[in-house]
Amino acid sequence: MASRSVLLVLANLLIPVAIVVFATGFFPYKPFMPGLATYEDSGNDEVLGKGWKEPPEAPFDKLVFMVVDALRSDFVFGEESGMSFMQSLIRDGTALPFTAHATSPTITMPRVKAITTGSIPSFVDVILNFAESDTSSTLGTQDTWLAQIKAKDFDNGKGKLVMYGDDTWLKLFPNFFERADGTSSFFVSDFTEVDNNVTRHVPEELLNRDWDAMILHYLGLDHIGHKAGPKSPNMVPKQKEMDDMVRTIYTAIENEDHLANTLFVVCGDHGMNDGGNHGGSSPGETSPALVFMSPKLAKLTKQSRRESPVRPKHDGEFEYYRMVEQSDIAPTLAGLLGFPIPKNNLGVFLEEFLGFWDNWSDGARLLYWNAKQMKKIVEAKYSGLRFDEEVLGAKDMGFECSPSATRLTDGQSLACLWQGVQQSKGDSNDGTRHSYKFMREAQETMSGTASNYDVARLFIGTALAFLVCGLSFFTLPKLRPISSAGIYFTITLSLYAVLMFASSYVEEEHNFWYWATSGWFFLLYIDSMRKDWSNKWILHPAFATLALHRVIRRWNQTGQKYAGADDIVNSGIFHSNSIILWSLIGATYMDVTLRIARHIARSVATFDTEQKKRGDIEIESTNQNRMMGTIAVLPLSGTAFIFKLAFTAKDAPELTYGLTGDMLDAIESLDLVGLVRMVFGGLALSASWIAFAEWQRSKKRIRRGAQGNGEFAVALFDMITLFLLTQTKAHNIPMYLLFRIQVSLLTLIDLSPTATTLTTLLLSQTSFFALGNSNSISSIDLSNSYNGISDYNVSAVGLLVFLSNWAGPVYWSLAGILLLGSHGATQRYVDTKELHVADWVAQEHNYLNNMARKEEKNREDRKGRRAWGEHVALLTFWTGIMLCGVMAACTALRQHLFIWTVFSPKFLFAMAWGVACHFGVTVGLGGLVWWVGGW
Amino acid sequence: MASKVTIDASATSKPKPSTAAPIEPLKNDAARLYTHIHPVIVLSMYAYKFNAIVADPVPALLAILAPLAVLQVAYVAVCLPPTGETPKVRKIKPGEKKRNAPGVLESGVNGTIVPAFLSLLLAALAATPLLTATLVLFGAPVTTHHLHTLLSGAHIALLSTLPLVYVHGVRGETWRQIVALLMPIDEVYGGMIGTMLGAWLGAVPIPLDWDREWQKWPVTIVTGAYIGYAVGKLLGGTLLKGKKIMFA
Ligand SMILES: [Zn+2]
Repeated sequence: MASRSVLLVLANLLIPVAIVVFATGFFPYKPFMPGLATYEDSGNDEVLGKGWKEPPEAPFDKLVFMVVDALRSDFVFGEESGMSFMQSLIRDGTALPFTAHATSPTITMPRVKAITTGSIPSFVDVILNFAESDTSSTLGTQDTWLAQIKAKDFDNGKGKLVMYGDDTWLKLFPNFFERADGTSSFFVSDFTEVDNNVTRHVPEELLNRDWDAMILHYLGLDHIGHKAGPKSPNMVPKQKEMDDMVRTIYTAIENEDHLANTLFVVCGDHGMNDGGNHGGSSPGETSPALVFMSPKLAKLTKQSRRESPVRPKHDGEFEYYRMVEQSDIAPTLAGLLGFPIPKNNLGVFLEEFLGFWDNWSDGARLLYWNAKQMKKIVEAKYSGLRFDEEVLGAKDMGFECSPSATRLTDGQSLACLWQGVQQSKGDSNDGTRHSYKFMREAQETMSGTASNYDVARLFIGTALAFLVCGLSFFTLPKLRPISSAGIYFTITLSLYAVLMFASSYVEEEHNFWYWATSGWFFLLYIDSMRKDWSNKWILHPAFATLALHRVIRRWNQTGQKYAGADDIVNSGIFHSNSIILWSLIGATYMDVTLRIARHIARSVATFDTEQKKRGDIEIESTNQNRMMGTIAVLPLSGTAFIFKLAFTAKDAPELTYGLTGDMLDAIESLDLVGLVRMVFGGLALSASWIAFAEWQRSKKRIRRGAQGNGEFAVALFDMITLFLLTQTKAHNIPMYLLFRIQVSLLTLIDLSPTATTLTTLLLSQTSFFALGNSNSISSIDLSNSYNGISDYNVSAVGLLVFLSNWAGPVYWSLAGILLLGSHGATQRYVDTKELHVADWVAQEHNYLNNMARKEEKNREDRKGRRAWGEHVALLTFWTGIMLCGVMAACTALRQHLFIWTVFSPKFLFAMAWGVACHFGVTVGLGGLVWWVGGW
Repeated sequence: MASKVTIDASATSKPKPSTAAPIEPLKNDAARLYTHIHPVIVLSMYAYKFNAIVADPVPALLAILAPLAVLQVAYVAVCLPPTGETPKVRKIKPGEKKRNAPGVLESGVNGTIVPAFLSLLLAALAATPLLTATLVLFGAPVTTHHLHTLLSGAHIALLSTLPLVYVHGVRGETWRQIVALLMPIDEVYGGMIGTMLGAWLGAVPIPLDWDREWQKWPVTIVTGAYIGYAVGKLLGGTLLKGKKIMFA
């Protein structure tokens, strides 16, 4: 037993180690260049034309940079677009359209990083995105085009910036702006206020002469997408509104003298999928529009097609015009506005704009500087190779660069391309071609492909995960006699590990769990059929849980393949009339309220002097106590309910349409942060009070040498349920009522400890996906992550993000503990002595007799640490297998097309499951509940 | 209290396997031959219609339902011993009094053909709705594809339930043992378990991104059921014959 515990502790400690080792090898190391780039870095190259030290004359001196969040390419260029003014500019040739490929993760912060630095942010930025206030993720000290403009000498001194819109910019660039007004994207139901807040500043700013760059970031279109998808009736009107804004600005550029040399850029930071969400890597999400506008552009477009609207290159996809990289924006702005290219840029100056310079050497100089700046990053990455600024022989290079040499590594082929740039330097045709060849190749290589992995760490991490499986295997409960739960556990785990190698099953993981859970409930039915003849053929609790499971899995459509398909939430029953939804929510809250009220009543009864005098060990709560309990708990659950109503009225007003009247108006004006703090505080207070009361009871039991345990575990579970409801979106709350019924039904089935653990595992996973989550970053819900937090606090926000997305697994992990300890079941202390006197038929007598013995045995079994230890052992084994499967898949498929789009997000989720869910919830919180269950 | 617990509490929860012997196919040459040919014919028929099923499941599945019924009736009538209790069941029915005293000529018909058709009737009327409901509980679409699911239920019922009803009748306790996997394995029982497992496993390929036409509902389920039936029947009749499924 002792050695088992040691093994188990060791296995659990290895889990985070394995994850960290693997993560450091998996997320590529990117060389980072500190400081601001200057033209002095450009070196000495007299072959590059006369003024080789001077930057080519910049065609623009002012910039209006307008980001429309989630502006997918077809919203501007397509035939159904509402942006007719921009389309007319394209036809006039004063607008240059592109589709700017955004790499995954397609969420705003990493995209803004890509746009401003020209670099390609890694997945680590996703984590930092949720920890927005983290100073290490600000771009204040990095080289961006904003920093370059601020550092540049304009006619009226150093550059000045103004910013209106998404406050992500203010967080990324603290103290950068002369004037700014940030809007936060807190409630996605806000389609108009967020944009009006930007628009109202624009006319005034267009008259101001002091700024050199104005940044606008509109959020309304993104919100419409999140709320109702790209086909929402609000979409085209919003596009028209944006188009009007473009017209206002463009007309000002045409008419105002001080804006004559203004470059106007409109772009999306990312697109959206058919469901209106983003974060992943579907074509819709990665294809935002990018349009450069100025009357001066007519010079460049004399020969081009100038068509609009157009159709995408492939039907159903979003590639319009030329597809460029989002990072290309930064070097292009640098060339057009005349400042050095930011140091960490991996973008390429767009060749369409070379036409601005009549002298070829000006363009060649720009490209050479661009190439040279990228070369420095490449050089830092491949420090063993020679990237000299001169033509080198094969002897100096160490290998042959001939076209026939096919076995070059990524670094070597880049070194060869750089040699090509050197050889063609000063050549009017070849120079351009070679520079582009080198830059495109460098861009692709450095964007996070195979060469960036630390393969050794990948293998060590996977091996450690394997060790977790190995260690925990020896702690598993004994394998014989073979039980249905044991077999099913084995099959589930093996199949899961295999399916992790199929990208579509990673995207559609919910299907696996729904399928496995259905099978398991059916097996439970077969199992109980084997044990005793029951009349409950169809109304068997296993069947009833299966039926509930069938409803639960249809609640939210999730995954990629059928994203946006109909489900219960979107079927309209909750939208047309909110009364149904709010009745269900009310019932859910009522159920929790009554449960907590019972616990409070019990705790009040603990100090009942009447019964104490009589010397009862177990003091039952009287009616009076129960009333007191209800009165005490009503303010708490009432506040929680009102918070939910108020929050939903702001976050998802379509769910409160049926509810009208002064009450709702009054509720809407309430302070959400204050309300939710009251709920959290009330919960903490009640929990401490009940803990105190149960502690008193426990002490008394021990004093009198009496058997039995208190109800604190159940009380804790019920209060955590109320907390989880607070962290759950309104339309998902009725699911907790279904979960509750499932828990009650499961207590009716005689589950062995292994079966209980397996049920816990299956239902934790099922509930995670059924609540609307998937293995895609875009499904992470942030709407409840600021509950009760008024200022940004990284750890608190992170904790709430986890708890609101993993609420289902938390619920089931704890429910599993209660099932394991039979806390939820009514304790039937059948006294076998009484059975003899009772005048019952022999069969029933036998039945009850057996039942009494069985329950006695179960009680014995579950006392102490053994059941709990085996529960943790099984789940540690599962976590090991899960990590092993995911890590092995990521290692084996690291060259796969989907590695950054499917497998990396899955690894991030596996990290959360392994560390936060297994370590924090199953072991930590579950251990606490198990421990207090023994009081 | 502890002193009273002398009997091992788990004794009551140990499953009691059925004492029934595994079903032996009839001992004549026709039976011995046809029992092996039958799954081949069933699978060939399904394979022949497979493309049509993929193209448009409802008419194609409907078209092979009657042939499947005929094949299954023929199979049980030729190869399997009818249940001993069937006459008893019939006696109770007032409408069937005429058949209480079978003549010599009638006995073949009464002995095999009539129970076979009764099994067909039960499979069609009782098992199909039950299995369709089970399919829905396991995730079959509720709002659409009603006929698809119903036909899948019918195919699974004909494959799995019809022979079972023929050999075991309709006694409740027997069926509890069947559901509880307590019967000894034979070709009929193996065929049923195979069909169910096949249909269940048939759901696995649906979410894969292979973009194949055959991944649509309910092609994989029905295909899984057919393959499972053939495999289960083969294994049940040979390798696993007489074995009992043991787990606690
Ligand atoms: Zn968004």
